[in-house]
Parts: sequence; C-alpha cells; structure tokens
Amino acid sequence: MNKIGIYVHIPFCESKCIYCDFASSVCSKKVQEKYFESLIEEIKKCRYRRKVKSIYFGGGTPSSVDVNFIKKIYDTICEKFEIDVDAEVTIECNPNSATLDKLNEYKKMGFNRISFGVQSLHDDILKIIGRRHNSKQALQAIENARRVGFKNISADLLIGLPNQSIEDLIQDAAQLINSKVVHISAYILQVERNTPLELKIKNGEITLPTEDKTVEMYLSLVGFLVNKGYNRYEISNFCRDGCYSRHNLNYWKLGEYLGFGLAAHSYINYRRIANSCNMHDFLNRKNIFIEKIDSKKNIEEMIMLGLRCNLGVDIIRLSKAGYFINNNAYYKEFLKQGILLERENRFYLNPNYYGVSNKIICDLLP
Amino acid sequence: MERQEKIRNFCIVAHIDHGKSTLADRLMETTGAVAKRDMQEQLLDSMDLEREKGITIKLTPTTMKYIYNGEEYTLNLIDTPGHVDFTYEVSRSLAACEGAILIVDASQGVEAQTLANAYLAIDNNLDVLPVINKIDLPSARPEEVKMEIEDVVGIPAEHSPCISAKNGTNIEQVLEMIVKEFHPPKGDEMAPLKCLIFDSVYDNFKGAVCVIRVFDGKIKAGDKVLIMQAKKVYDVTEVGIFNPKMQVCDELKAGDVGYITASIKTISDIRVGDTITHVENPTPAPMPGYKEVQPVVFCGIFPVDGAKYNELKDALAKLQLNDASLQYSPEVSQALGFGFRCGFLGLLHLEIITERIEREFNLDIITTAPSVSYMVYKTNGDILEVSNPACLPNPVEIEKIEEPMVKAEIFTPPEYVGAIMDICQDKRGIYKNLQYLDKSRVKIEYILPLGEIIYDFFDKMKSATKGYASFDYEITDFNQSDLVKVDILLNGEKCDALSLIVHKDKAYTRGRAIVEKLKKIIPRQLFEVPIQAAIGNKVIARETVSAMRKDVLAKCYGGDITRKRKLLEKQKEGKKRMRQIGSVEIPSEAFLSILKIDNE
Repeated sequence: MNKIGIYVHIPFCESKCIYCDFASSVCSKKVQEKYFESLIEEIKKCRYRRKVKSIYFGGGTPSSVDVNFIKKIYDTICEKFEIDVDAEVTIECNPNSATLDKLNEYKKMGFNRISFGVQSLHDDILKIIGRRHNSKQALQAIENARRVGFKNISADLLIGLPNQSIEDLIQDAAQLINSKVVHISAYILQVERNTPLELKIKNGEITLPTEDKTVEMYLSLVGFLVNKGYNRYEISNFCRDGCYSRHNLNYWKLGEYLGFGLAAHSYINYRRIANSCNMHDFLNRKNIFIEKIDSKKNIEEMIMLGLRCNLGVDIIRLSKAGYFINNNAYYKEFLKQGILLERENRFYLNPNYYGVSNKIICDLLP
Repeated sequence: MERQEKIRNFCIVAHIDHGKSTLADRLMETTGAVAKRDMQEQLLDSMDLEREKGITIKLTPTTMKYIYNGEEYTLNLIDTPGHVDFTYEVSRSLAACEGAILIVDASQGVEAQTLANAYLAIDNNLDVLPVINKIDLPSARPEEVKMEIEDVVGIPAEHSPCISAKNGTNIEQVLEMIVKEFHPPKGDEMAPLKCLIFDSVYDNFKGAVCVIRVFDGKIKAGDKVLIMQAKKVYDVTEVGIFNPKMQVCDELKAGDVGYITASIKTISDIRVGDTITHVENPTPAPMPGYKEVQPVVFCGIFPVDGAKYNELKDALAKLQLNDASLQYSPEVSQALGFGFRCGFLGLLHLEIITERIEREFNLDIITTAPSVSYMVYKTNGDILEVSNPACLPNPVEIEKIEEPMVKAEIFTPPEYVGAIMDICQDKRGIYKNLQYLDKSRVKIEYILPLGEIIYDFFDKMKSATKGYASFDYEITDFNQSDLVKVDILLNGEKCDALSLIVHKDKAYTRGRAIVEKLKKIIPRQLFEVPIQAAIGNKVIARETVSAMRKDVLAKCYGGDITRKRKLLEKQKEGKKRMRQIGSVEIPSEAFLSILKIDNE
C-alpha cells in the first residue's frame, strides 16, 4: 500500500483578503468548536488505513485559531494513522497571528515546516489587498519561527499585485532570501469571480499590472531566484537545499492523499473525493463529490501535473495507460520548436514556456 | 346572391409591432376558425425566429366563416412578410387579395412601414381599410392618428374601426368592415382555370403543397393541370382550404383561396407567382408579374465541428423543402474543410437560414462573408461565374470582371434625400432620377452594385432616415468594374475563407479594417502572428498579434486536481471551435466578424 499525504482544512480567518475565493470565513469560536468536533469525527471514522508521509494544515488561516484546536486534530491524526518518523508536517500561518507562543506550541506538537502567507513586503500593497500584517511583522514572524527551531520555512509571494513593480517584487524576494527561507511559492494573482477584487477592478478602484507586465515580473523573479541558488521545481515553487514541499510534490506525482474538513479533497484508490464547501453540508456529510478517475482522466492528470513540475511526464507510463504521445501532432511540433524536451523516456516543459503551460497541456491532451 | 359576392380575400399590413399578428389571432378566434382553447398567441407567426425578429416570413393563409346580416361570408386572410428580401413574395400575396387592412398603432401613429405598406397595397389596386389598434393604451390618441392617416397616407380614415386586438375590443366591427369595404372577387367560374401560386409549403405526407388563389374556373382532385411557367404537368391529388390547418374539400372555384397537392416531390418545382391551369382548355395567358427568384447573395456555411458535415447537409435539405429560394452546393475550403456554398434572396434571408440551422438543428456553423456572383472573363476566352472570392482566378488570367447591378428605388420623406444620396454615392451608385410623388414622398432612383448593397446599405439607410425610407431593388444587368481580390494572410498563409472581392478604391480601407478586426479576435498564440491583407503579392495592411505570455492556472488548493483538470478540459473543448490556418488557431467568430466591419 502506498503511503499517503493528509490535508486538514482550517476554514477560518480573522478577515477575508480581497482576492480570496477559497472556502474560508470569519467565524465565532462557537462555530469553530462545532466545526472542529465534526472534523475530528471525520478523521476518526476514516476507513482508510495507510501510512502517512506528510501532513499539511492549510486554510483559511490555521494560525488564526486557538492552538488547542490544532493540537486536538493533530493528536487525532496521530492516534488514527501510522506516521513516518521523518514525515513532513506543515502548517500555514499568517505573520500577524503566528505569535512566538503559537510557533513554539506547533514545534512541540511535531510540526516541522511552516508556510507563511507573506504575499508582499510592501505595506501599501498589503493594505490594498486586505492583509492584516505589515512587512515588519512578516519578517519578525519568520525570525520567530527560526528562533523556536523551525528550519524548513516557506513564504508565499504574489505577483501582479496592484501598484506592484518589478523592483518591488525583487526587493521582496531579496528580503526573504536574507531571512533565509528555504522555500518560496510565487503565484500570479488571479482575479476570481465575485471577489471584492473583481468588483474593485470593475469600478476602477484598482488597476492591476498588464498581462505583459505581470509576465515580465514573473520572469524577473524566476531569474533572480534561480540566480540566488533556488531551484524552480514547479511553475510557481522554488526551494533551496532540497527543501521541496513533499506534500505538494505528492499531488503532482499523482500520489494518494486524504483531505479532512470543509472543501477538502482526497485522492485514493483512483477516486477523487471532495467534501462540500458549504459548512452546513459538511457538518451533515452532505454533497460529497466522488469522481472515478478512468484511464482518460488519469492520462490527462499525468500530463497536466507532470508538466507543471520538473518531474516531467513518463512516456512509458502514459503508453501503458493507453496514450501514445508520439502520435500527437503537437508533441512532435513542440519538440521541434524546443517547447518540450525529451530525455530518458520522459518529456518536460521547457521552463521558458511555464507561463503558457495551459495552452501546451491542452494541445497534448488525448 | 352570387357565390363570389360572399368571399373576401384580404391581407393585413402594418409597421412592425403595431399588432398585425394579434389582430389576425383575434379575427380567427372571433370567427371560430380557431377554438379559444387551441389558441396559441399569434398563431400565424409559427416560427420562433419570426416572432423574435417581429417579422413574418412564411405566409399562412386562413379561411374564416363570418355571418353578416344573416348571410355567411368566407373571409380568406392572407399573411404577408415585410422585408425587402421578400418583396416579390409580398407582391404575389397582395396579388391574391382584393383588400388590405392597414393597422396603425393608436399611440405611435403613422410610421415608416405604415407608409411603405400602404403604398404597396394601393399600388396593387387593393381596397385599404385603416384600423386603429391598441386603443387600450393610456397614450392612445385614436382621433389624432386618424387625421394623420388622412394627411400622411392620404386615404380616408374617418370611419376606421378603433380596436384593441389585445383585449378583443371592436373586432366585430373590423369583420363587418371587411365585408362592407372590400370588393368581392370577380372571377369567371366558367372560364378556363387560372390559379396563382402565392406560396408553397412542404408536408411530410403530402409532399409539396401549392398555396393558391383561384382567379377563374374550378379545380378538383383528379384534374390534369399544367404549371405554366415551370411547364410541368401534374394530376391533382387533393384540394382543400386552410382552416387554419389543411382541410380537404371537393372543389376550389373562382375567388377561393386554398391549396392543391399533386405528388410534387420537391418544392423547387413550384415557384411563387406561377400559374396553374388545366392541360385541356388552358387559360390563354398566365398571371402577370411572375419572376424567377434567383439567389443574389452567397456565402459559405461550414460546420464548426467538421464531423457534423452530414448533419449540416440534412439540415439544408430539410430547410430547402420549405424554402425553394434557398440554394446550396458542396464546397471545400482549405481553412474550413467541407461545407456548402449557399445562395439567398438577401441578407435577412441569409440570417434567417443560418439562425434556423443553429437553433432548429442545433448545429454550430461558420458563415463566410457574403458575396454576390461575378462574371469573370478570362484572357483565354472562358467565362466564369464566381460567387466564392477564393475561386477568383489569378489577376493575369483575367481580362475583365463584371458585377451585378441593381436598380434601386428608394421612397423617402423629402428631408432625408441628401442623406440617402450621400450613402448611394459612397456605395458607388449612379444617380438616375429623383421625383416628388407628393409633398411627403420622394422617389430616388439609383443604379448600384449589388455587392455594395449586401454589406450594410440597408442598415446605413435605416439609421440615416430613422427608418422612414423604404427601399426596393431589382437586378438589372452586369457592369464591368475595377474589382480586386483581397486575401488575408495569417502567419504568411492565405486563409481562403477570408478572401473577398472589392472595388479597387475600397480595397485598402476594407483590408485595413479586417486586419484590425482580426487582431482583436485572434487570441495570442505561442508565437507572434502577423496578419496581412494583400492584393496578389502586394501587402496593403498589416497587424501583429504578439505571442502569448501567460496562460497558467493558479495553485491547486488542498489538492483540488479535479477543478484544474476540468478547466483544462474546458479549454480543450474551446479549441474545437477554433480553426487551424497553417499553424495559427483562429476562433470561428473571426469568419463572422468581418461581415460587420463597416458598422463600426
């Protein structure tokens, strides 16, 4: 039996950022209690018995809730599953709520990786997008995490924020490198439907950098980070000293995982399972979405996920699933144009084309 | 009383939305031609599309019985379409009537089409009965509108019925007036048979059905008849009336409106305006006014999904059963694959057919820019008829090109004369004549190239005259003209489906406009795509679509792979709507959009 990853969703925040459309909201402690009770119940009743190689507490903002909730959940997982001694155990934190005390508690519990939602180190920008922290707090939080003994620290950055310049972005990255984070995730800001951001753009209150400008920012950042010794192992993820996010890599390798909590996703025994993103439904175990991954979907996922990271796609595995990539007219064309690279029975996306990966993936799908 | 004294054949004409279909419904309901419970709003306009566009395309006659002063009258309501594409059909329908009800909206008053339709009826020697509709509206001003009719249209309106077709107010009065005001038919039952075909419909069981008005003589099942212009002989298998559904009867006599069937397999064998007579003892002369309707506007129609070619073929065949004026033949385009070159009576006709294909047959199609048919004289003596710009021979092989010209008659209130002449001049028109018919009506005559008219002439004229001008045209002959083919090149590859034939003086402007438009429509590709317009090897306009920079999905939160995969599947699905020109992918809308260029 394969080892799995475990994802736990903490759908609570102190406030909602303007671009966010995830399953998260500001809730009273009472609601939180009810939710965590239900979440623990879900974990306890889980019928899969697999060894666990990574655990990831994501959100929302896990650091925004009482540390005892986190501890209870973590303990439940430990009771229920056999966890590898060297398992990667991550918790997402916001700089403002991850106090020294909390970080200390996380460390004691067994967390060994922190992912900070830094997003930017420019206070004016942070304010516009509705973050609660400032740059000083962010750097302090990273420093605190290190003080309590975390070595594996990651920071998220956003690209293409309002008023953001290339220099701003590079400056942010440089400061993060200075603070010795070993992992940086840098995502291009997406304008999601029905978010305050979308409305503000429509009303002209906010202007985002143009697409070309955003791409330029992204490419500059990539160049900067690679130059500083960070390895781009996925379109948006960079790390040093082999500190990949093992939990996320498992997703991209089509590894199995279980998700607990609101809107959490699982992939196990060729089934993708999604909990409802409606709190009421989740508490009543309603509207659970189950999708069987047939060979066509499996092939699509192999290509889609494999090309996003530097693992590439295994040609033999693809053909065993029934898809002969060499018969795809685009494939040959892309190889010829250097958009794809092929070596040792795997094909990879030329990193220069990471930015347009969707288009290329689409052409390669069966 | 003589039989024909108790028949009235009439039509209803009106400006759009003044309530033509509603009145027709109400007349049928009041006379019991349709039971109230079977009543569907606006029975006459049977197609959704017609309802939406507010125009009737198909002519559906109805026979109604009405008792007046103890006598039973037969009222035949003949519906008419109202667009310049169908002028000929309208004229044949009017020819089948003796009277016309002219509906005028009680609050809107006399409008552009009120005038045009009234004059059309008057020109066809019909008795015109104005009816003021929508008196239920708070803004109704029936007395003023009556004056307007007398002043502007110039027909008496003092005793016009004031009705609300919607509420059924005063409908009886309209029926009475039909009997009193309209002349009865004056045919000769004993004379040789003479019937006018004014419409045809296709019935799955009966085959092609001729909708006719009998002028002289009698017709019954078993008769051997000659369709005079088509020169075809048939045995009549059934005669009947529309009630409003087809209902068999023994015989149709002079003055009657009804239908005949005669095992006619295809509707194209019967043409609107043709005359039916007996093989033995035929009428000496056919009905006047017959014209062979020829398609004048052509375009290519292709399935978006190439695999649906056969479905498109079936759809066209089915549409043609009911519409003899639709023509099509197979065509192959490098860019668009297998499809059909189709011929239409005009742009509206084209639009209706393409929309029906999409709606009724649920097919996604690509339509290429409309074109007319050019006569091409080659240097080697060959003469070609070219309706597909892609088929125009190399310039060095062409001695001359002739294009179809039309004689256009435009009727307008005097204040718009200047605007109309500007448009005609811009459209390469040759001024012929200008005539003041009366204080409020001017007739302008121009000779215009048909190819200019099919673009946006009608739209331009409508907006310049607030819809008050009406316009009719007929094709006269072919004129030699300085025409060139403009090709569109994408990434250096010619896209045959985007080629067009234009006058030399307009080639640059139109080429530039298309290239600019395409730049907006063609999505960024993985590489830079030059878009060029060229005459032969000479590039006259160029734009560039810069290479795609960003097309990447965000982080997958909590391992939500499904969403990501679905987004990609959707993107891939979208690709099916794209056409591959060389290495460039262009959306199917691109082919349509260049039709609308001049409107922007």
